[in-house]
Amino acid sequence: MGATKPKKTYSTGAFFFVAPAVVVLLAVGIFPLLFAAGVSFHQFLLPKVHWSGNFLGVWPIYDAPLTWFDNYIAIFQDDSFRDALTRTFLFLIINLPLELILGLGIALLLHQQGNEFLKKICRVALVVPMATTFAVVGLTGRLLFDGNYGVLNYLWSLIFHSRPDWLADPNLAFFAISVMEVWQWTPFCALVLFSSLTMVPPEIEEAARLETAHWWQVLWRVQLPFMLPGITAILILRTADILKLFDVVYIMTKGGPGSATELISLFVQRIGFRAFDQGVASAQAIVFLIIATVLSRIYIKLVYKEV
Amino acid sequence: MVAAKINMKKLLCALCAGVAFLSLGLSVAKAWSLEEASKDYKGTEIKVIFLDRPGYRATIKMLPEFEQKTGIKVSYEIVPYESTREKEVLDFSAQGDLSIALVDLVWIGEFAESGWIVPIDELEKKFPNLTDPDLDLNDFFPLLLNAFGSWNNTVYGLPFDNYSGLLFYNKTMLSQAGFDKPPETWDDLLNVYGPKLTGTGKFAFALQSRRGETQSCDSFMRFIWPWGGSLLDAKFKPNLTDPKDQEGLEFRQKLEKIMPPGIVDFDHNEAVNALAQGEVAMITEWSAFYSTLTDPKTSKIVNDLAIAPEPKGPAGRKPALGGFSLCVAKQADDKRQGAAWLFIEWITSKAKAKEYVENGGVSGRQSPYQDKDFVAKYPFIPPMVESWQQGVPEFRPRFAEWPQLSEIIAEWGTKMQDGQATVKQASDEIDKRVEDVLQKAGYYDGKKTLAQ
Repeated sequence: MGATKPKKTYSTGAFFFVAPAVVVLLAVGIFPLLFAAGVSFHQFLLPKVHWSGNFLGVWPIYDAPLTWFDNYIAIFQDDSFRDALTRTFLFLIINLPLELILGLGIALLLHQQGNEFLKKICRVALVVPMATTFAVVGLTGRLLFDGNYGVLNYLWSLIFHSRPDWLADPNLAFFAISVMEVWQWTPFCALVLFSSLTMVPPEIEEAARLETAHWWQVLWRVQLPFMLPGITAILILRTADILKLFDVVYIMTKGGPGSATELISLFVQRIGFRAFDQGVASAQAIVFLIIATVLSRIYIKLVYKEV
Repeated sequence: MVAAKINMKKLLCALCAGVAFLSLGLSVAKAWSLEEASKDYKGTEIKVIFLDRPGYRATIKMLPEFEQKTGIKVSYEIVPYESTREKEVLDFSAQGDLSIALVDLVWIGEFAESGWIVPIDELEKKFPNLTDPDLDLNDFFPLLLNAFGSWNNTVYGLPFDNYSGLLFYNKTMLSQAGFDKPPETWDDLLNVYGPKLTGTGKFAFALQSRRGETQSCDSFMRFIWPWGGSLLDAKFKPNLTDPKDQEGLEFRQKLEKIMPPGIVDFDHNEAVNALAQGEVAMITEWSAFYSTLTDPKTSKIVNDLAIAPEPKGPAGRKPALGGFSLCVAKQADDKRQGAAWLFIEWITSKAKAKEYVENGGVSGRQSPYQDKDFVAKYPFIPPMVESWQQGVPEFRPRFAEWPQLSEIIAEWGTKMQDGQATVKQASDEIDKRVEDVLQKAGYYDGKKTLAQ
């Protein structure tokens, strides 16, 4: 007789501790996701469908025709969707490294010894952009970049005697929304990386500084390994946030001029809540979710390493 | 003799009966009052969405009187225009709690076809005692009742917040440039007034063109109808490559040289502000902006402001038309439907029309504007009334697919305007996409009637 594997046991207390979180997750996360996945296989024009009861008393049923993969085929044939996706990745590729590099610079400055009082003020100041609501960031962006009354154009005209159309020129508008994104989220990267730097044992760092006169050697060989979990977290969180960036851009440009700043979340919102084509919008959201999940797995695989 | 007496008696009886019947009828008519009609509805709460615009502020000022007379509570939520349709569609789809639908003229097809609003005929039959004998639908401007409140020959709502596109201009700037009247045609505006009013940091004209309904309605469509063009032909096939449409859209491109740079980032506020600050000489805007331009807190040109109808194109004056009606929501229960019907009748009534205008609203009824002394106090009224005589109900199509079309036009209209695409390229692209939307909606295979 072989040895039997000991059976895992769980206490009732543990079950009751975990259950509320699972119920909430099911209600606000899993159920809407499954519903959206279901809707994505239907021609679901909100003003035209009608609720016709519940399956097992829980799952709502509508009289929307089943179209299988038509919505998925339609979005990949849609040039505008592909353009919005490309634009979003361009935005991600430009801004995420910029936020990381600037954040790292600030973190290293804060990590330097001395000026403790100033560093405390800086740490508090860094929280302000992150704590500002998206709508206010968007409105600040409009006030800053307004062609006629903007602060930026006032200063620009003093030096260069011209007034660029920041929000009316396709390239400048893309630049303007990038500036606001970097302004708001570089502090987040700085604070995460700064907290990672405090994890480096002081004696190791001190020894490394005695061994080499080059600061980048210390950064590369000693500090960076401690920062990798933080960098992975930044990559995952900021990628997810940038991919779903909506409010700031909507308030600053509404995706215009033309479609120069129409990121994928604005595009999906337009289909879902202007055209009310929930079927196509859900298919876009599901594709989008798959892309974000794949990217997260790639980050973890390539970047994340335990020290 | 006896026979004559009997006949006289019969005649007298008949006369008495007639008089009694008439007086009874009159007393019934006289007896109708808001207080009496609403007595069964005391304590009912009705919900409606309002915008932050003068007509709604006027209504809010007048509400206490209605609530006091009827005991009906009117709860309103003020929502930005851009979110209004989204909020209402979600509420009606989910059988929410709105008792009244605020319907922009371009949503009437969608709301009516979705069965979210109750036709007035039905309300009159359902609530015979609640219908004001003085409702008089013929007193509304026919264009407004048709465009704002009706769909497929059925009246669903009463015109409530009414606009027309007008030419607002700075008469001092025009007079300094040697003009004693505003341009009569678009061609004059561009070629005669434009060069003299543009220069030294000032511009002749500003056309709000920001992406959204502003681009599709205020900018793009404004250059279709006055040139004799249309968005769709009689068979609902997209029509933008028609030479008349192309001529109008090419004309819009030429306006760039007399407008401030970055016009594709101008929304209503930017255009109105440019005129109010004396930076541009003329704008074409909704009549509702009259109060902003005559308020010394927001305008530097209070004494320089003058108003005229929009300029004419080669096909005549076809000004922009916009506005909202109030409709009773089908999802409301009978009690709320009755209370909502009373409120809609009251706020759009002949009796309240002047008070509504005095508080900053624009009534859609003809009767108040027949009083010359009253009209003299509001300079925007005569050009607006003139515009309502010549407007096009389908200035923007009013069928359910317009929001989708509007998004397409907004995207490609701004691309056209700022040179990312030529007029022809953008028109082809809009036509292709519009046809696709209408094809899917079933207009080409007979599933839907060609109503707009």
